[in-house]
Amino acid sequence: MANGSRNRTTVGSLAGLALVLMTRITAAQDADSLSAQKLLDRVQALEEQTQTHQSDLDKLKRFKFSGYIQARWETAEFADDSVKVAGSPAVITPANDQRFYIRRGRFKLTYDASPLSQAVIYFDGNTAGSNRNVTLLEAYLTLMDPWTTDHRHHLTAGQFNIPFGWEIERSSSLRELPERSRAENVLFNGERDRGIKLVNPWTPKIETVVSVLNGYGINDTNFPTIDPTAAKDWTARARYIGGTLDFSASYYDGHTTIPLTGEDLETRKTRIGGDAQFYYELPSAGGGSLRGEVYVGENLNADSVRVLVAPPTSANPVTLLRPGADPSHLDTEFNGGYVMWVQNLGEKFQFASRYDWFDPNTDLDHDQYERVSLGVNWFYDGFTRVTVAYDVPKTDLLVGAGYEDPKDNLWTVQLQHKW
Amino acid sequence: MRMRRIVGIAALAAGMGFAPAWAARGITVKGSDTMVILGQRWAESYMNSHPGSVIQVTGGGSGTGIAALINGTTDICQASRPMKDDEKRKLRDRYQTMGTEIPVAKDGLSIYVHESNPVKDLSIAQLRQIYTGQVTSWKALGGADAPIILYGRENNSGTYVYFKDNVLLGADYSARVQTLPGTAAVVNAVGRDPNGIGYGGAAYARGVRECAVKKDAGSPAITPNAATVQDGSYPITRLLYLYTRTKPAGPVKQFVDWVLSAEGQKLASQVGYFPVR
Repeated sequence: MANGSRNRTTVGSLAGLALVLMTRITAAQDADSLSAQKLLDRVQALEEQTQTHQSDLDKLKRFKFSGYIQARWETAEFADDSVKVAGSPAVITPANDQRFYIRRGRFKLTYDASPLSQAVIYFDGNTAGSNRNVTLLEAYLTLMDPWTTDHRHHLTAGQFNIPFGWEIERSSSLRELPERSRAENVLFNGERDRGIKLVNPWTPKIETVVSVLNGYGINDTNFPTIDPTAAKDWTARARYIGGTLDFSASYYDGHTTIPLTGEDLETRKTRIGGDAQFYYELPSAGGGSLRGEVYVGENLNADSVRVLVAPPTSANPVTLLRPGADPSHLDTEFNGGYVMWVQNLGEKFQFASRYDWFDPNTDLDHDQYERVSLGVNWFYDGFTRVTVAYDVPKTDLLVGAGYEDPKDNLWTVQLQHKW
Repeated sequence: MRMRRIVGIAALAAGMGFAPAWAARGITVKGSDTMVILGQRWAESYMNSHPGSVIQVTGGGSGTGIAALINGTTDICQASRPMKDDEKRKLRDRYQTMGTEIPVAKDGLSIYVHESNPVKDLSIAQLRQIYTGQVTSWKALGGADAPIILYGRENNSGTYVYFKDNVLLGADYSARVQTLPGTAAVVNAVGRDPNGIGYGGAAYARGVRECAVKKDAGSPAITPNAATVQDGSYPITRLLYLYTRTKPAGPVKQFVDWVLSAEGQKLASQVGYFPVR
């Protein structure tokens, strides 16, 4: 009996223990499932949060910021000489022969609203000239065509690079030598104008661009913001893009207004251009290219303006043609261009050389400008490079009874960071 | 005197910059997320068989890898799509070359659906309608009366671009596509979503069903496998590439040659891709 009672007690104890354990296990399972549920809720909450962030991020990714800074040191090769010859006709700048300055400080904002439209605003801040303000270089909007799947046909309106030739539209941040050719500097001063342009890549290899412009670029001193003529200038360019060989032909047609007291004068402004770029690769050195571009046409000649137009004076505050001056002599036929060789030397170095020329009046001697430029680029990293360049310009300046080439060779050391 | 100073500065710069990047830090490989596992396996195996060599592999997307190739921060780019013309132009602007394209593997671009999804196959035209937002319900495709939830990749992904160019024929993706940062994330999302659909490399298809694809409505439905990808009968077959800035030389060439060797190509098959040789 005692044994039976002990057995019952033992069984009862075991049953009780089992009950307690089961209760605890169930409670633990409940707690586990509760914590699993909590974890799931948290993951879902995080997912919602991530989706919100992703949506916000997608909106922000429509904005693209880019730009570059070029800090420069220039020095004339000859200490008793001036820094550089600039403008057309050539003007020697009697400035300090060694200087630091900011050649370009560019900041670009692009907004890609949709696959069918884009807006760009582009500023420059530099200390190259007397202007140390931030200036608006470009501001335009582009509409992409809705009828091709890759929306490759573009219509752009605003202020943008003049679609002519090759070097105008190539960013200064990519150029292997510090400045563009002299012919381009004179004929398309500032590179930009206001108007509309239509870009049509008909095939991956053939592209045409036509534009209608005010005709007074952003650096024009007389008409920086207005167009005094109703007739607009226009351009057309056809380009073949072969990859290792690209070439194009360009045409520009328009007029230049010479502001006079009373009725203004107009002269023809035409440019015909051709350019080609050939790329190759050397096994030990790397890539290289040969490039060339020519410009011919008719242009307002600054020399002629100075000779034929009497500027206002305090005694006689009017601008008039000088007596007997023939207005048809204000514009002259010009030619200019460059040939260039660029050779990469491994991945960090690049050698560049160029010969460029500009003859503002093909009927006149001693007004030509020629220049040989040599440069080495050292790519510090993917974003920063150092350029050392040497320019040897040749100009004829009347000195006494003869002509002399002024000692105006120029060394330039430039540090550029691009982002 | 002034000229000597300038020449001195140039010489100093020359001394600092002539060594190739891989000499200092080993070979860097960056780009396609689709190829990141493949690249890592190649690198591990190569480093094991070539003691002393160092190869670092990172993802980020084909677009990111190509950008790194252009700005000089990687020696080799892995890409699941060919370089675009504007990318080639950027490379040419800096290096005067068009880059060297090396096809290293084939991939079938799989269409992932949930394992419970009754839709067994889709045509290219139907995929285009789905991803451009013209068809929004599985019911229209013979499935449940439920909305189609679209998953896809971000626009720096080569897979995103390849799918857009070859399946959508350049048309824009629907705004309803949920973009995810990698193929694994797409597979994970579709695996948990009975109404989901996604796309990505065949090697990632785990826990989802690969939908068979028809070239057009009258064509047979083909699933991606070694035979159908190799013979090109699977309609969404693509090449995977390595890109270098110039023709490969030195250690970079040795690594590329090894990737194209029988050993490297066998590894591509083991990871889930298909050899090109």
